[in-house]
Amino acid sequence: MKSILKIALGIIAALGGFLDIGDLVFNTQAGALYRYDLLWAVVLGTIGIAVYAEMCGRVAAVTGRPVFDTIRMRLGFGTGLAALIASTFVNLLTVAAELGGLAIVLELLFDAPFSMFVVAAAIVLVAVVAVLPFGGIERIFGYGGLMMLVVVVTIFHQSPDWGEVAQGFVPSLSGSTLYLYFVVGVFSAALMPYEVHFYSSGAIEEGWTESSLKENRLNAIVGYSLGGLLACALVIVSGYLFHPLGVEPNDLGTVALPAQGAFGETGLLLALGGIMFCVGGAAIDSSFSASYNVAQFLGWEWGRYRGPRKAPRFTFSWLIFLFLALLIVESGINPVEITEYAVVFSVVALPLTYLPILLIAGDRSFMGDHVNGRLANLLGWTYFGVIIVLAVAAVPLLLATNGGGG
Amino acid sequence: MRGEGTIFVAHRLLDEQILDCDGKRCGRVDDIELRGSPPRIAALLVGEALYPRRLPRRLRRLARRLAGPERWGASAMRVPWEEVDEVNAAIHLRGKAEDLGLGEGDDPENWMVRRLPWN
Repeated sequence: MKSILKIALGIIAALGGFLDIGDLVFNTQAGALYRYDLLWAVVLGTIGIAVYAEMCGRVAAVTGRPVFDTIRMRLGFGTGLAALIASTFVNLLTVAAELGGLAIVLELLFDAPFSMFVVAAAIVLVAVVAVLPFGGIERIFGYGGLMMLVVVVTIFHQSPDWGEVAQGFVPSLSGSTLYLYFVVGVFSAALMPYEVHFYSSGAIEEGWTESSLKENRLNAIVGYSLGGLLACALVIVSGYLFHPLGVEPNDLGTVALPAQGAFGETGLLLALGGIMFCVGGAAIDSSFSASYNVAQFLGWEWGRYRGPRKAPRFTFSWLIFLFLALLIVESGINPVEITEYAVVFSVVALPLTYLPILLIAGDRSFMGDHVNGRLANLLGWTYFGVIIVLAVAAVPLLLATNGGGG
Repeated sequence: MRGEGTIFVAHRLLDEQILDCDGKRCGRVDDIELRGSPPRIAALLVGEALYPRRLPRRLRRLARRLAGPERWGASAMRVPWEEVDEVNAAIHLRGKAEDLGLGEGDDPENWMVRRLPWN
């Protein structure tokens, strides 16, 4: 019983890193514009991150290597460096988007000027990381993010036409350029690489060994199913409420409105609280991820578990990333716009960090008996194909649709 | 046999993480020094000064300008092969990082590290 509880808590903690500002923005917009039509892309992206995360977690548990530990070995220094630069650029945009999102939510909750809350949000994040150990950070944001379940309950309150909802799970690529742009957006919002880089480094932070493989598989299957459910719920409630009205949600507060429509102020507060923890946790995950990647590529000491004294360069670069993100947000660019760029560019950078993991996970000399089985190989390579196609299509679609503006 | 050895060197040693006897991460293998005939591994080379030569030829000159030793005073450290204790998922050294001049950037005695607010 105790071990079941422990696993359940672990899954919730892992879930904390799944839903972030990318899903909130893209899925809500997707629902408003295309009702339930893009649900299949959410599912496709969710299975993708489950496959990628399971492999990364397994590689980390068996060989002790997080993602950027494998990059130089499998891609060489030059290409590896390109992967690092691309990932760092995307990570920085993501931290800025999450930090800006956090400030928007605080602004809505407490009604004070936005720019002040950006600084406050950054200070709170530094304080949380300074005080809490790694596991504590994961748990706080994971449990807090569960408030988002109010969105799932909202579906039942709305009671949409289930036949129509079910039809949304059937893949369809026929539609306008804007529709295709949203396919890419919704898919890559589910499969943000920083989440997986963070997850695999987190496995090292928590001292995973081969005995943690069961936990890893459960996280991938149960944790991401739950995450996928939440991500689908965002599309459904938005599709139900906003699509008939022709509303195009352009700010983060809109995400909380369906819950308010269903449950009044309690619904609104729960949704805003959930968004706050999801986005705050994602700000920490993405900034850690940026710092993990640099430290691992260059061979520095790294990790929250080492502490700032033993890993000074890692800690310092984390602060620098947070500070740079703060500057980006304070420059006045709309966080929702930053989010769209972060999500779209992340799928462009994804193949470079996905391939080395796929190669190592399939290499018996590294993995022994835990090498990719038939299913993992099939899924792994299929998704590699999907990612390549989307990576090639992403930027042209971004330009053709004027950044999703139509 | 010689072919296999070369593959081993490039495949399992180059770019690998180095840990000292206390498990401290202290750099990656940026190059390998070979000596003799048939060639044997004489030492592992570690340091930012080696980065430029790891890049594609066209980028090398630019990289030397930006990060080369002339500009930054970065130097490469030489870890004699005898110092290597074990090679598995990482390269484990027999001695401490400080004694081999590795991991200087994370060393609490380093002048830059000393100035960080938490030190």
